[in-house]
Amino acid sequence: MLQAESVSKRFGGLTALSSVSLELRPGEVHGLIGPNGSGKTTLLNMMSGYYPVDEGTIRLDTHVLNREGVAERAQRGIARTFQKPRLLGPLSVLDNAMLGGWRDVKSGFISTALSLPRALRDERGLRDRAAEMLHGVGMAHALDRPASLLEHAEQRFLEIARGLVSRPRFLLLDEPAGGLTPTEIDHLATVIGVLRESGIGVLLVEHHTDFVFRISDRVTALDLGRLVRHGTPDEVRNDAEVIRVYLGA
Amino acid sequence: MTEHSRGARIATLVMGAVFLVALPFIVRDQYQLHLAQLIGVYWILIAGLNLVIGYSGQLSVGHVGLLAVGAYGFAIIAGKYDFPPLLALIACGALGGLCGFLLGLPSLRLPGFYFAMVTLAFAVIVTEQSVAQTDLTGGGVGLPVPGFAAPFDSPEGFYWLILAVAAAITWLTWNIARLMWGRALIGVRDSEVAARSVGISVYRVKLIVFVFSGVTAGIAGGLFASLQSYITPDTFIFELGLFFFTCIIIGGRGSIFGPFVGTVILTAIPEVVAPLAKLGNFFYGFLLLVVVLLTPEGFGRLFQQALARFNPKVAESTVVAPDPALLRKALQRAED
Repeated sequence: MLQAESVSKRFGGLTALSSVSLELRPGEVHGLIGPNGSGKTTLLNMMSGYYPVDEGTIRLDTHVLNREGVAERAQRGIARTFQKPRLLGPLSVLDNAMLGGWRDVKSGFISTALSLPRALRDERGLRDRAAEMLHGVGMAHALDRPASLLEHAEQRFLEIARGLVSRPRFLLLDEPAGGLTPTEIDHLATVIGVLRESGIGVLLVEHHTDFVFRISDRVTALDLGRLVRHGTPDEVRNDAEVIRVYLGA
Repeated sequence: MTEHSRGARIATLVMGAVFLVALPFIVRDQYQLHLAQLIGVYWILIAGLNLVIGYSGQLSVGHVGLLAVGAYGFAIIAGKYDFPPLLALIACGALGGLCGFLLGLPSLRLPGFYFAMVTLAFAVIVTEQSVAQTDLTGGGVGLPVPGFAAPFDSPEGFYWLILAVAAAITWLTWNIARLMWGRALIGVRDSEVAARSVGISVYRVKLIVFVFSGVTAGIAGGLFASLQSYITPDTFIFELGLFFFTCIIIGGRGSIFGPFVGTVILTAIPEVVAPLAKLGNFFYGFLLLVVVLLTPEGFGRLFQQALARFNPKVAESTVVAPDPALLRKALQRAED
């Protein structure tokens, strides 16, 4: 279980988050909603290690993560995507997805430089895994295409595939539906559904509330850095304060 | 890659190798052979530096300092203390790696511009020290450097030694570039945020590659010193560091072949075309300007684009259509 326990974050005089808690269980889709500036992405960044925690605790099972950097948390099986996809433009789709497998690379610099069997085995294994994952998320048509030539939706699905190649226990998605067409959002829902079945815990930071309520098991709503409501999609959707601050009448 | 293009590539590689091995019998005079030796020595350094600049995007302009360390190391170990030159060459590699480690340890955490400044300062310090430490380096007078023992004592033999070392180091860097480490380096270069998100320890990766470039610079320094047969602090001017940098930028980032061509052209042209030699640094500066303005990806990229024109692509699909059954299976297999 990946937990944020009463975490707070200040940027100068601005309190971005004040004492917010959230727990992400394996095999659940957890929606995180709220108006702009409510602290959704800040919380995601604290869970994945981009921002240090001012107060509170980030915990993976019983292990405290507060002092661990982004790379260490990724090594522990916490993967993420970005609001604006961060891909390596000159590399192919397949190469980009393979990069996700870095935490399973056993061969160091020297055995790679000498192309020892171990390095070649790493390479083959990750190439196969990345290709399978790309077929699964629907990117099979573009394996050899440079990432810089991809359409927006393709970039989003490639980022998800890169996250999955790392065999994550938890996948944190930062506005994955942003800029997608309704059909593409349905595809995204399909993919997230499969992740849930496979036991991956998915955190879904998102503005498309219909989409969030449709596919989430639980939802947390934030406003101005505070926790407004936390519960099942129905509980949150019908909460008077959530309606007042965010959903509107 | 198709069977056909793979076959063509291997054929080109074999022809290139035969040409390089037979070069001493092809050249017209000793001067041309000397030029080929110099290109080989420069390339040994640049091949390693290419992983730092072209792949991991760390703009070091101070590798001339590491070259000097290797060169003086060789002159002292093989010259003053009479160690066998081949052993001394290995020691130079180790020395270069150690200096790379000590230089990279504090500087690789700095943002790009400041890192470049530190490497520049390092090059200046090495030159100053080579003047100041008269007992060790001979000061401004310099040091004589011994040659290698038979069979590497003839110009041809020495050329083949350089060729063998250069080929080995090219092979090592090619393996790094094409396997998982190459992707990690490009991740460090193009998006540190993405690199971290997949678990890459950015600083550690930069440091390891930098140490490797120190090793190749140290080895290049030893061979360089022996090739010059006499070294003084004036041999290691800062412009030489800029020259290495320029070869890689002009050749193109993220390629091995591009910087190699860059090294050959930039070393050979001013020597072969006499009027250009007079222009000296102006020529390099002008070429850098032209490349950066017209083809920022280097002329390696131009070459690729020309190839792509011969294989026009048909309109491609951009439709993302997930396959839940396949995805389920892929996730299952990844766990096994």
